[in-house]
This record gives sequence, structure tokens and C-alpha cells, in this order.
Amino acid sequence: MENTIAGYFLNFPIFQAIAETLGVGLTAFLIFFAFAGLFTVILATVGGFGTIAERKISADLQARIGPNRVGPYGLFQLIADGIKMISKEDIMPRSADKFLYYLAPFLCIFGVLCTVAVMPFSKNLILSDLNVGVFYAIAISSLVGVGIFLGGYASNSKWSLLGGMRGASQIISYEIPVTLTIMMIVVIAGGLSFNTLVEAQAGMPWNWYIFHNPFTFIGFFVFFISTLAETNRAPFDLPEAESELVSGYHTEYTGIRFGLFALAEYIEIFVVSAVSVSLFLGGYQLPFNILEGTLPNELLQFGSLFLKTCALYYVVIWVRWTFPRLRVDQLMSICWKYLTPIAIFNLVGTAIWVVAFDGQSMFQLFFGSGAH
Amino acid sequence: MFINILFFSASALVIASCALMMWTKNLMHSCVYLLGVLIGVAGLYLTLGADFVAATQIMVYVGGVVILMLFAVMLTGGKDFQSKTQQLLNLLPSMGNKYTFMWGGGVGLVFAGCLTYFFMHLFKVIKVQEIDNNSYSPTIEKLGELLVTDHLVAFELSSVLLLGALVGAAIIARPRKERPAYIDDIEHDHHHDEEHH
Repeated sequence: MENTIAGYFLNFPIFQAIAETLGVGLTAFLIFFAFAGLFTVILATVGGFGTIAERKISADLQARIGPNRVGPYGLFQLIADGIKMISKEDIMPRSADKFLYYLAPFLCIFGVLCTVAVMPFSKNLILSDLNVGVFYAIAISSLVGVGIFLGGYASNSKWSLLGGMRGASQIISYEIPVTLTIMMIVVIAGGLSFNTLVEAQAGMPWNWYIFHNPFTFIGFFVFFISTLAETNRAPFDLPEAESELVSGYHTEYTGIRFGLFALAEYIEIFVVSAVSVSLFLGGYQLPFNILEGTLPNELLQFGSLFLKTCALYYVVIWVRWTFPRLRVDQLMSICWKYLTPIAIFNLVGTAIWVVAFDGQSMFQLFFGSGAH
Repeated sequence: MFINILFFSASALVIASCALMMWTKNLMHSCVYLLGVLIGVAGLYLTLGADFVAATQIMVYVGGVVILMLFAVMLTGGKDFQSKTQQLLNLLPSMGNKYTFMWGGGVGLVFAGCLTYFFMHLFKVIKVQEIDNNSYSPTIEKLGELLVTDHLVAFELSSVLLLGALVGAAIIARPRKERPAYIDDIEHDHHHDEEHH
């Protein structure tokens, strides 16, 4: 409990006073509960802004203007979209599987939001610093695959079924290079908890794991490509390929249920980008160290993570509007013939590097101990 | 107190999902309720302080096994099976003859005996310990150490088993290079023609 939100805020005098009346356990739980709600709201907003970012950036790449009617620069478009989603009629196909049809979008959003429990937004702004943090994040996010598959099956439509099957097989396949690449970082850091992983990248950018050794540098790109496929983003958006499957697994969904699928996708991109940043790009670490332990420092760290994540988010959208979609067989051969062997090679290489050079990074080897 | 809440909610989830899983006649729904059971069991592991086992439970079952089962049920037609479960006894002859049932029954008895023996042993040795709410030690380091020291043979053997499964899957899924029939026909005709000349 030391390095979590509840533990951090319990050191503040106000919360200590509350803890005296309510007891430490209950106060910690209330703080945890409040911040869990807050993070959910923040991420839902980020997901909403993701949709508008997507439309604006795609418009920019195609020399259009994009949405510009609602609010300044079209920024309030997400509110208009949200109201539209909620007020639309909730249609269900007559022969759909009612129970699974209602369950599927919730499984998707549940799987995505559960990963937020271990996201390290700053040194102390982390809901729960589990010992198996990264492993938990991979495990619980596989619920999204179940949700997509059930959504495709329950709609009782050919397009949806094909999309759902593609989604499930794609997510299961691409979990392997993702997990192997994460293992590589775990070998270097010697721990699975997110704080252990990020703490080891403190200081200047050359301490980031992406520059630790040549294998991690390749590993970052393997991880990035695999996460694009895991989140069903173009060029891997086969489950919802518009030109072949109408809209894939959510063809039959309307209103807020469709909205939940879309929101889950955009939040998942943000979460996955944040995981990439935490594993390879230094996470919340700042190059300077001021006001350590105080709230402004925590917010600065949060800003550091947020900026890097948004940069990666931009790249994800940029990739979507630049590359054409793959075929199904190409998708599978990229995973099994290229990414997985490269990931295994990286893992073995990193293990040898860690043993041979005693866990030192490239810059420590080149510039001696002065690198820090 | 938190452990108690977790225990009761997890066991309620397991029992309720189990009952629904047995109750429902739709195999697809059954699979989804099984998902609830498996997540609830992961919660029960957490109350025992086994964080790594809980995460592995979700990883293996939710991410792999349940999706596989959903695929299997969907592709074999879960709805057709629904009517046949009404007369389960009629299905019995299609599962084998009396020898297969005899062998199956014998193996089941031996297996049940072994399990009972092991579990009787377990209940004698292990006492249930109180778990401190705030400081239970991480299990993953101990697990890793044990896997490469005391249980090395079991670890290696299971990895060989998984490798075998992987190679088997690759062999089954391998595209066969069969010569299409028309090539044979063409060659045959060609041969025939040459004989004529």
C-alpha cells in the first residue's frame, strides 16, 4: 500500500484527520474508490477526445478541415456525439442471442478499464502496484477478445460473425509477440510491477529501455506493431474492415452499445500507448528532479507520461490513415513468421546481454559511469 | 475485512455462475457462465495471497481456453446439441461400446482414488493460516526459484509437452502439397499421345 494512491494521500493531514474518525482501512478504501471513479471518467474523456483527434488528424492528412461546427475548432464534437449515441434507438436483430448481445460491449469496456488499476500515472498516482502488474494487464485485457467474439456471434449476422472470428484469432495470435517483448523488459528490470519497470528508467532519455541495447530498440517496434493489431487498428483493422464486412463485429449494434465498443477501442489505444511508454520510453520519469514527493511533482510526472502517450497516440492515428489494410493470411504470416521469431530472438539476445554486460545499458558501456 | 468481502463476493460469483452454467440449455451461454466461474476462482486465489496464480488463471482460461471453447461450440453447432441433451440416454450408444465404457469407468475409478489419496494427505499437513491484510509476500520470486531448482524436471517435462502440442498443431495445420487431379489427367493424356506417335 506504500506506493499507491491511497498510501500517498493518507500522508496528507486532512486525510489523517479523516482516518482518525473512520479508521485507516476504510479511509484508504474510500480514497481508492474515489480515484478509481476519477480515472474512469478521465479515461472516458480521453477516449472521447480520441474520436475527435482521429477525425481532425485524418482530415489534416487528407487536406480537409474535419469537424468544425460544435465549439471552437470543433472540440465539443464529442459531447454532440455522446448525446446522439445515447438518444438513438436501441435496435436488436430479431434472431440475435439476447443475453450475449447485451453482454458483449460490457465485456469489452470492462476488460479495458480493469487494466487501468495498474497503470502508473506517476510515482504515487497508481491505483494498485501489484507485484504481477504487467502480467495482470495482459491477462485482463484478453477479456476484450471475448467481448469482440461474443459481439460477432450474438448479432446473428454473417458480417458480424466473420468480424468476431477474425478479432478473436487476431487478438490471441498477437498476444504472443507482445508477451515475449514484455518478458524482455522484465529480464532487464528484474520485476513485473510497473513501478519497478519505470523506476529503472529514471533520468535522461538515454536511460530509457528503448536505448538499453540493440534488442530492446528492435523490441519497441515489434511491440508497437503487435499492439496495433491487438487494438484492431489499421493496418490490422480486419475485424471491422469497412470495405468487406460493413462494420465487422459491431455491424448490428446501435446507439450507446455501439458507443461502448467504440469507446473501448479508443481507451484501449490510450492504455496500450501508456503501457508502451512505461515499458520503453521512460514512463512518468522526468529528466530533472524538483520538489520530490510533493503534489506538483506528481502532476509533472503525470504530464510527462501524458505527453509521451499522446505523441504515440498521434503515431497510431497517423499509421491508420497512411497504410492500406492487410489480408487475413498476411496478418497471420506477419505474426507467426516475422514478429514472433524476432521477439524470441530479442528475448534470447537480451538475456545474453544482461548476463554478459552485467545488466549495463549501451550508454553506460560507452561512457562509463558518467552516463547517469 | 477486505479479504472477507473479496472471499464472499468471489465465492458468490463462483456458485451463482456454476448453477447458471448447469441450468442453462444453451451451450454458448454455458461457456460464458464458465467465464464467470473461472474469474471467481481467480478471486479465491487472491484471497489466499496467490497473486501470480490468480493472474495466470485469468491469462490461461479467459484469454485462451474459453475463447477456444466458444469457437468449438460455435463451429460444431451449439444450438443443435440443445435438443439432444433432452434425451441424453439416447446419446450413450453413439459414444462407444461396452468395452470403451468399461475402460473409461476403470480409469475414472483409479483417477478418483489417486485424487482422494492426495487430498487426504493435503488436509492433514496444511493448516489454514491467517493472511495479513497489508503485507503478504510476493509469490512470484519463490515460484521462479522453485521452478528452476526443486521442480526442474517437472518444469522441463511440461515444456516438452507444450512443444509437442505446438509441433502437432503445426503438422495438422500444414498445407498439403497434393497434386491436383487435372495435372495427372494432362500427364496421362500426354503419355498416351506419345505412345500413339
